[in-house]
Amino acid sequence: MNDPVADLLQRCAAGDRSALRELYRATSAKLMGVLLRILGERSEAEDALQEVYTRVWLRAHRFDEARGRGMTWLISVARNHAIDRLRQRPDTAPDSYDDTLHAAVASAEGRIVARSEVARLNHCLDTLEPARATALRGAYLEGLSYSELSERHAIPLNTLRSWLRRGLSRLRECMDQ
Amino acid sequence: MTTPLHEDDDQTAAEYVLGTLPLEDRTAAARRIGQDPAFAAAVRAWEDRFAALNDDYAEAPAPDLLPAIEARLFPAPPPKPRRFGWLGWLSGAASAAALVVLVSLALPIGQPALVTEIVAANAAFQYEARFDGTRLVVRRSEGAAAPAAEVHELWIIAPDQAPVSLGLLGDAPLEIDYPIPPEGWVLAISLEPAGGSPTGAPTGPVLATAEIRS
Repeated sequence: MNDPVADLLQRCAAGDRSALRELYRATSAKLMGVLLRILGERSEAEDALQEVYTRVWLRAHRFDEARGRGMTWLISVARNHAIDRLRQRPDTAPDSYDDTLHAAVASAEGRIVARSEVARLNHCLDTLEPARATALRGAYLEGLSYSELSERHAIPLNTLRSWLRRGLSRLRECMDQ
Repeated sequence: MTTPLHEDDDQTAAEYVLGTLPLEDRTAAARRIGQDPAFAAAVRAWEDRFAALNDDYAEAPAPDLLPAIEARLFPAPPPKPRRFGWLGWLSGAASAAALVVLVSLALPIGQPALVTEIVAANAAFQYEARFDGTRLVVRRSEGAAAPAAEVHELWIIAPDQAPVSLGLLGDAPLEIDYPIPPEGWVLAISLEPAGGSPTGAPTGPVLATAEIRS
């Protein structure tokens, strides 16, 4: 499978510093998009971006090409770091949010996951109750916490988690068929 | 195929990937990924299931942060000492009272470690920085945190380079991925407004410095 990002990660794992530069040029706009969408604030997103590439270099040896695409791995490093930062914030009130980020248009060459995978996830999300599908998307894409989801969907906090877990179970059944 | 996980554990893996776990559970799940292969596999499976949503993230142009990232990761060869620029900024703090104690010791697993005390010039506080080769852990060993509305911020300064922030120091230890810095680099703590320096460079007084020596 042709995966230039995976090749760059393997060169990083081998200590090739020029590969880190190429990786940054090829992927920093996508990771910045992820960090901005979750953190909602440019200066914090830039701070997080430095931390993410530092981690990527130090952990590149943990990336395994046999287990998935390079870009998927990079995005999971970025999402995990951004959500760690969110959960460490003392107040859980969502920050002011830049609406332009909602209007995501993925360019044809920016496609990260095969079309069929996108179609399958969308199909499986469509089999859920719309509110649950929306909650799962909001949690994944924006890093919403239980209390934010509870507020948005008007579901009491003490039942929200089991409500969401039922959605996850159904999603897994549908996707693993 | 790994041993099937308990349903509840698979749900936890899903919630970790989704990002909804509260901080404490999230930290525990992250630790478990490194210790429990079945749990790690469940996390990867959920990452794959959700990966299709990644297309929803719009690209946003990022500034060129490579110089700062490389300054953190790659030691520069020790240059000739200079008496201006950031060194001038430091000399205000490095009023000889900043005491540096460095101990190299072998960890049980045989990795070299570097432990540095960063002591305030007025001895009001002391932090211990421990490098184990991949992680840096900094905890306050003496004194109190910065007063309300202010915070201690930790910087690493490569010779002839601008300081790079490593994070904010509070009551909980600061833990980041960071290699052992080379000799001649300097750790510094400045006093910044709550939330850290708004500019990306130190703005407040330097309270303590420690030079890396081996």
